Amino acid sequence: MTKPTDLVQGTLDLLILKTIALEPMHGWAIAQRIRRVSNNVLQVNQGALYPALHRLEQQAWIQSKWGESENNRRAKYYSLTKAGQKYLKAEESNWERLSSAIGLVLKTV
Amino acid sequence: MRWFQNISNWLRSLFRRNTVEQELGSELGFHIERQIEENLAAGMTEKEARLAAMREFGGVEQVKEECRDTRRVSLIDTLLQDLRYGARMLRKNPGFTVVAVLTLALGIGANTAIFSMVNALLLHPYDFNNLDSLVRVWETRGMDEGYDARWTAPADAADFLSGTDIFQNLTTYRDQSFNLAIEDGVEPVLGCRVSASFFDVLGRGPALGRGFAQKEEQPGFEQVVILGHGLWQRRFGGNPALLGKTIKLNGRGYTVVGIMPEKFSYPVPSELWVPLALSSAEKADRKQLTTMALARLKPRASADQANAALASYANRLEQKYPKTNTGRSATVLPLRKELYLYTLPLFLLLQVAAVFVLLLACANLANLMFTRMIGRQKEIAMRTTLGASPRRLAQLFVSETLLLSFLAGIAAVSVSFWSVRLLRTSISVEWTKWVPGWDGIRVNTAVMALTILLAVAVGFLFGFASVLHSGKANLGKTLKESAAGSLTRSRARLRSALVVAQVVFALVLLVCAGLTMQGFVRLAAVYESFQPDSVLKAELNLPENSYSDTTKITAFYQQLLHSAAAMPGVKAAALATNLPASNVDNDVTLFKIEGRPPAKPNETASADLLSASPDYFSALRIPLMAGRLFTESDNKAVERVAVISRSMADRFWPGGGAVGKRIKLGARDSNEPWLKIVGVVGDIRQNWWNPSARPAIYTAFLQSPRHAMTIVLRVDANPAGYAAPLRDAVRQMDPGLAPTGINTLKTEVVDSIGIIRILGILMAVFGLVALILSSVGVYGVLSESVAQRTRELGIRLALGAHPQDLMKLVMGHALKLTGIGLVIAVPISFAVSCVMANVIFGVVTADLAVVAGFTLVLIVVVLVAAYFPARRALRIDPMIALRYE
Repeated sequence: MTKPTDLVQGTLDLLILKTIALEPMHGWAIAQRIRRVSNNVLQVNQGALYPALHRLEQQAWIQSKWGESENNRRAKYYSLTKAGQKYLKAEESNWERLSSAIGLVLKTV
Repeated sequence: MRWFQNISNWLRSLFRRNTVEQELGSELGFHIERQIEENLAAGMTEKEARLAAMREFGGVEQVKEECRDTRRVSLIDTLLQDLRYGARMLRKNPGFTVVAVLTLALGIGANTAIFSMVNALLLHPYDFNNLDSLVRVWETRGMDEGYDARWTAPADAADFLSGTDIFQNLTTYRDQSFNLAIEDGVEPVLGCRVSASFFDVLGRGPALGRGFAQKEEQPGFEQVVILGHGLWQRRFGGNPALLGKTIKLNGRGYTVVGIMPEKFSYPVPSELWVPLALSSAEKADRKQLTTMALARLKPRASADQANAALASYANRLEQKYPKTNTGRSATVLPLRKELYLYTLPLFLLLQVAAVFVLLLACANLANLMFTRMIGRQKEIAMRTTLGASPRRLAQLFVSETLLLSFLAGIAAVSVSFWSVRLLRTSISVEWTKWVPGWDGIRVNTAVMALTILLAVAVGFLFGFASVLHSGKANLGKTLKESAAGSLTRSRARLRSALVVAQVVFALVLLVCAGLTMQGFVRLAAVYESFQPDSVLKAELNLPENSYSDTTKITAFYQQLLHSAAAMPGVKAAALATNLPASNVDNDVTLFKIEGRPPAKPNETASADLLSASPDYFSALRIPLMAGRLFTESDNKAVERVAVISRSMADRFWPGGGAVGKRIKLGARDSNEPWLKIVGVVGDIRQNWWNPSARPAIYTAFLQSPRHAMTIVLRVDANPAGYAAPLRDAVRQMDPGLAPTGINTLKTEVVDSIGIIRILGILMAVFGLVALILSSVGVYGVLSESVAQRTRELGIRLALGAHPQDLMKLVMGHALKLTGIGLVIAVPISFAVSCVMANVIFGVVTADLAVVAGFTLVLIVVVLVAAYFPARRALRIDPMIALRYE
């Protein structure tokens, strides 16, 4: 069995936050969205997704609400809280800095 | 607001657990359903779609568990769950639960019971401020051995305070017995004459009224008294109007100026205090040691510093006053320590033994737990498969063992309540009233704290031990195995080691118990030689003011002896200053032998000093070894005589011929008259803590009368029946007198060695518990091993082994474990018995026979315990055994 591409530690949180920043989403849709947007490169392991969602909710970066899904079922929709939006911005700029720094290193050396 | 959200999430997870659980289920359910739909849309069949979705998702339960873990409540939440589960497990295995709880309760209970004693007697004997800075101060007269009475000369005591820079304050006192006048006669009360600073030094003042003023220390002003709370309640109904009233002590009026608070008693068991009024001549006295001294050290000064300071100061006094102070030194001892010079080793022994019992109980419990873990291998594997992390499993085991130790703690507390009450009341109050802190022996907060601490510690210990023991369960292997699991080699070795440890603990405890019991029996036999069953004793103290000269004293006692001897059935009536087993040390005196200069200057021989009337020796069945006893004609008019003990004769006249020699009491320059030795009598053992062969000098009562004497009556039968006639006889002669401590000598003897008896009983209980626990341990391990080896034993049988061989195999295993244990335990036991013989000198002697005897007992018990599992091995049917797994 091949392992799905491992996400860098901590980046899953960032991806989740970014994904639901546009609109409230349920877990399955989040996984699908990440996979599709990344052209199937990033495969989110369900075993990691739900604990991450619950952790983020526990930390009050995101909040959840039960709603009607696209196939007319009850699903749990996650959205960003105010604190979560700020946190996402901070994390995004962190990521930018980090990846451009790594890019610099890779290009010059 | 984030923190608010945080907490509300947390609370929601904690209190709306069912809702949260449900939501978690439907959330994950929705995910899978959605995936199935997706798969169907991609063209899979219904079945394929479901399988693929499930495969992609992985372990639903594991994900759920991880989600729960992210919520912080999981710890509390699962703890409750685990406790519920643990309680269920314990209920389902009542045998295991009862044995484990009892084992632990015994171990913990033994410790709390003993600790409650240690706590009261050693740690909190007195309720004084800053007890550790209080010290007793006394002078020693350069005796070559033995027991000093801890007295000081008044002038020296005053100099110790003013001349050294070590004491904050120093007070002197002298205990005394008083006769308190009551409606119909007198009540003898123990009291104390104290200098005005007494209560300041102790840091405790009267609860009502005032302390003593400086001027009340002068003769003529000293007729004031402070009463103890108990006496005030008992005699005066606790009436506060008593203050300012006059009560009669020894026929003189004393004004009550104060009432001490409850529980105050120093020196125990004093119940009243009057000023110590010394004349100026007495105050300036350096020659006679007539007062006791108690001092409070300056802040941050230690007893060692005080000892050093005092020793050098005593040197200066020696140079300054060579006539009186030559050869005299001074010493201090913390008040706390002073009381327990003799009994401290007993309590330490008990505490160590109690710790041993706990260790044994722990070893036993460990074995039980391990047996149980083996039975639970499959359960553990199942839990792991279902998503339990190692941490979660550890939590489960710890909760279970904590629950167990909690139950044991409750049982232990009830055991301690019961045993402490038994302990407190098992010795007569006549003895215990002399023991500061005895009434404080109870299960208090400190004791409870210790119990809880022990229970929690043991709980955690075994919880974690189980975790380590379960280790990393090999999932596939364990689940596939049909048997209940297997004992790996290292685990079997661990369990064997525990059995070996149990054997070691058990033997050491048994030997200690045996030696103590032996010591008690031997002591009882020593005192039995006085034939105490038909002896009555009573103490009498003639007040100094009305019996001011020796003629009055001898006249009174002579007349009392005559009237007592005239009572029907009285075989002998006699007097002595101290009786054997009185729990009071004899006075000690220096003496010199005529025509024999001391080997070294300043070296003076010392011996116990008693005064006795002629019939004393026959009344107590003390044998005459040489010469003669006192007679009625050994009075003031003729040459002074003495009778000495055999050990004194042997020591100073090894070749014999002591009779006829002359000795002089007191220091070198004493002007006491010469005493002619007229007889040698057998040695007696004064108290349990004194070695039996102390040199002793008896002087004739008529030549050396004392105010305080003990009367002994040897009667035909029913000695207790003579108490009332004796009391009447005393009252007829002097209505202001009443004898105290009227008791049969038998009771006295039993009480005096009561502490050794209790020690023996406690040790015996500990030993018995040790024996039971270790046999249970051996039984458990062998049963387990036979069960594990059923297959092997079956094969052996099938291959032609005789059932007897199998029995030998199992018994051999038991013997091997015991043997290893004994190899370690026998030397330890012997070493421990030597230590015991040293610390409880004279009571316990190291005895190889006891070690050997208990080794044998232990082997027999182990063999019996091994017999049952071995018999099971005999009954193995090879056919069944081979199909067993």
